Amino acid sequence: MPRLVKVRPTKIELIKLRRRLTLAKRIQKIVKDRLSILTMEFLHIAREIVASKQQTIDGASAGYAALALAAGYHGWIGLGKEFASSARGVAVEVGSRNVAGVRVPSFQSAQNGKEVLAYNLTDTSAYLDQAAAEWGKTLQAIIKLAELQRGLDLMGIEINRTKRIVNALEYMVIPELKATIKFLAMKFEERDREEKSRLKRVKVLLQRA
Amino acid sequence: MIEEPLSDRTFEQYLAGELRVLNAHLARRRKRLSDLLAEERPFVDLHDDTAHLFDKEELARLASLLDETDRQALLLPMMIEVGGGEGEAALLCTGGVEEKAVSRVLGMDLACRGGRLLLYRRQLSALRLALKTATQYVYSLGE
Repeated sequence: MPRLVKVRPTKIELIKLRRRLTLAKRIQKIVKDRLSILTMEFLHIAREIVASKQQTIDGASAGYAALALAAGYHGWIGLGKEFASSARGVAVEVGSRNVAGVRVPSFQSAQNGKEVLAYNLTDTSAYLDQAAAEWGKTLQAIIKLAELQRGLDLMGIEINRTKRIVNALEYMVIPELKATIKFLAMKFEERDREEKSRLKRVKVLLQRA
Repeated sequence: MIEEPLSDRTFEQYLAGELRVLNAHLARRRKRLSDLLAEERPFVDLHDDTAHLFDKEELARLASLLDETDRQALLLPMMIEVGGGEGEAALLCTGGVEEKAVSRVLGMDLACRGGRLLLYRRQLSALRLALKTATQYVYSLGE
């Protein structure tokens, strides 16, 4: 049985409760709409993650295969020397975009697809260039995957939060308001009936006197 | 069983807050597609003091569907109204350019009526897949 909201049993309170019920119903509708939109966006991101993961795995496989060929040509020690002198960080531009009211991160590689090879081009073979190109593409896919994965996490958190609001409105707030309104309406009807019977009793007493 | 009045007050405050935050992500001032194309990092400022970044590839794709006049007329992000009462959602149209852009993106003829272009679930899903950063949701309480 729904609980009652503690209010003074007056007509003003009844009007206020009715207004509150209307507002709660409207908010319930809009929050439900939002939940459905968030779910749709969540599924979009989930599908993109599947594609992006596959791309990353394929890219890494191709990268390792190309690296193995390069290692066969140069030897691991030769490759190690080249890589030791060419080590550099990865610059990523970080921003955010808004999806249905949820701020999700946006990562973009600062190289903008134009990779600058940092090793010595005269001492190395085309095998190493191929490996570098494959790993460059894989790196882009990893950056994209990181953006999507974080977006999915944030979207999931927001869906859970919105679900809790929808459930609270549907199973707690609206039933409580309805029960209280019903209780007050019955109380006022009972008061009216008491008033009528009292007036009748007074009338009878006056007639006797 | 009688509930304590505190939770009721909290609920009202919460509802008011929820309504406030629902549309806090809207752009302060929308920008023309032609202007965004010229920017190094295309973005718009939002009411919640954050920025919304546009995807450059998406903007280029959208621009390729429109002529120069439409590029100058199209304001981004386009607004998709949810909870307005009709259909699943509706794209808010300020002129015919939104109608033209969405029709070309979805590959079907759509008509704008009363400043709104009705979108059903599948259309909305396809539109959001194609224009992730160029569209934004607006939550409306409706009638």
